[in-house]
Amino acid sequence: MTGATRALERPMPRIAPWRRRGLRRAITFYVLISPWLIGFVLLAAIPLVMAFVMSLSNYDGLNLEYVRLVGLENYVRAFSDPDAQHALGRTLLLMAVVVPLSLTLQLALALMVNQSIRFTSLFRTIFYLPYVIPVVAAAWVWKIFVDPTGGLLNALLGVAGAEVNVRWLVEYPMVVLASLTIWGAAGGGMVVFLAGLQGIPAEYREAAMIDGANRLQVTRHITLPLLSPVIFFNLVTGIIATLQILVQPMLLAPGILGLSPGTVPPSDNYLYAVHAYLEIFVKQLFGYGSALLWLLFAVVLALTLVLFKTSRRWVFYGIEP
Amino acid sequence: MTVALARRRSAATEATLRYVPVLVAATVFALPLAWVVVTSLKKQSEFGSSLLPATPQLANYELALSLLDFMKFATNSLVLSSSYALIVVMVSALVGYGFARHRAPGRGRLFMLVLATLMVPSLVLFVPQFVIFAKLGLTNTYWPWILWALGGSPFAIFLFRQFFATFPRELDDAAEVDGAGPLRIFFQIYLPNSGPALAASAIFMFLWVWGDYLYPILLLSEDNTTLAVRMSTAYVDPRGNPLQTVTMAGVVLYVLPLIAFFAAANRFIVRGIVTTGLKG
Repeated sequence: MTGATRALERPMPRIAPWRRRGLRRAITFYVLISPWLIGFVLLAAIPLVMAFVMSLSNYDGLNLEYVRLVGLENYVRAFSDPDAQHALGRTLLLMAVVVPLSLTLQLALALMVNQSIRFTSLFRTIFYLPYVIPVVAAAWVWKIFVDPTGGLLNALLGVAGAEVNVRWLVEYPMVVLASLTIWGAAGGGMVVFLAGLQGIPAEYREAAMIDGANRLQVTRHITLPLLSPVIFFNLVTGIIATLQILVQPMLLAPGILGLSPGTVPPSDNYLYAVHAYLEIFVKQLFGYGSALLWLLFAVVLALTLVLFKTSRRWVFYGIEP
Repeated sequence: MTVALARRRSAATEATLRYVPVLVAATVFALPLAWVVVTSLKKQSEFGSSLLPATPQLANYELALSLLDFMKFATNSLVLSSSYALIVVMVSALVGYGFARHRAPGRGRLFMLVLATLMVPSLVLFVPQFVIFAKLGLTNTYWPWILWALGGSPFAIFLFRQFFATFPRELDDAAEVDGAGPLRIFFQIYLPNSGPALAASAIFMFLWVWGDYLYPILLLSEDNTTLAVRMSTAYVDPRGNPLQTVTMAGVVLYVLPLIAFFAAANRFIVRGIVTTGLKG
């Protein structure tokens, strides 16, 4: 009330209060976001510049006396590093396997638990659980599950009459890694799909049903197009996450249960981020490792950009409830 | 009558179609976890020789608690995860409120910057941060996590911005007329009405630290590290052979609080994601 009367008492120039109010609002905005802004400068912008300078240097993490800029040497080296190429190949292969399977599974799970069935919350919890389980524990879970002698997988295969002494972590390490990744990520993607499904008005589906569409047609022509923004979101985040997988292959290295900082996973699971990590934190090649990481960033950016370009063709943002 | 029969049969197929896939999927998802529990109840000598424990026993759980100072490292994890979660959620909510409700030149571009940082691989940022923390003597302390928290999380900022954008503006206007400043509006109107979003993001932020393995192994020492790291080397016999059955008991103890937490908050999480409108 006092604010209103005070405003009336003042002479009223037309533009100035607007501007002053705008300025005050702007200051308020910058004060409110200042924690992030300061954090961004100190913990993202400066480190990014440092990381870039590092990638142009021979920094070893310890001695600043011997540091010198080596130009693009590290980048040139990355392109002729057979380990880096092998690692990139394995990473792209893992991505090509995991991302489509993950998305399909997540969508299927969301459709299943979105039906009117009993125990939906129990089913949701079961599918969501692996997503909640920390990566160390998840890696142990799978190590024991596929253990040659003590694991359930070989025991079940034995019942089915197959070979029973498969040493999964040695012979098929990437199968285990892919399973662990898909199993662990399913719940998170499912919940996002579920949120998307629940955002689709039931009338659309009902109308199509009344027009004689069967369930498959409804899914194909109503649900999927309306879900496409969510599919796109899960696709992009799935790709970015898969390209950066680091700890899992090291924890899945056969033999040990724990992880020493220098654990090298078997060749099949020698992923790109693992290579960069080992170069930096084990071999102390901070310069070269930073260059490797910038190249990873470039791949992530390029893939995301391509996806955004193609998204215009298949992602429908048209209908907003 | 044939019609009724056909209808009944189609109802039966209908039910099969609904339940069989979901039951199969649930079994496949639960098997590895069930196996953890089964293994944790075996004697170590039974691991690899018999499928089920002859007499289920809890000795592994006692060992899991006593082979390392479980409570001490669990407390480390709890303190680190909850202080991180508490600070980062409050900061992110405040920043999200700023982005959602206060106009200023450059706001759009700054928000794009928030989203852009989500795409930077975390190691790219971590390596120079690691160098900085080491130079400042902050390794072996919890300060890195506090500093990360004070800067907010881009993901949580995004969530809160989306969430607060759905609040009716009339609320702000009314409060402003009553003389409330932006901070008071935030604390008295926005925060009390953000239960699901606060809970969902706090749980995720807590989980990120509780489950993280890489940063504690690189930043902390044997003594003040988190439970996950300490556990990963503790469950061996005196000769250094892994004790799988004890490890599985440890996994259960490590994960059970999270599961209880999530089972209780299940509804909250879905609602949090729905209301924060991840669809964008």
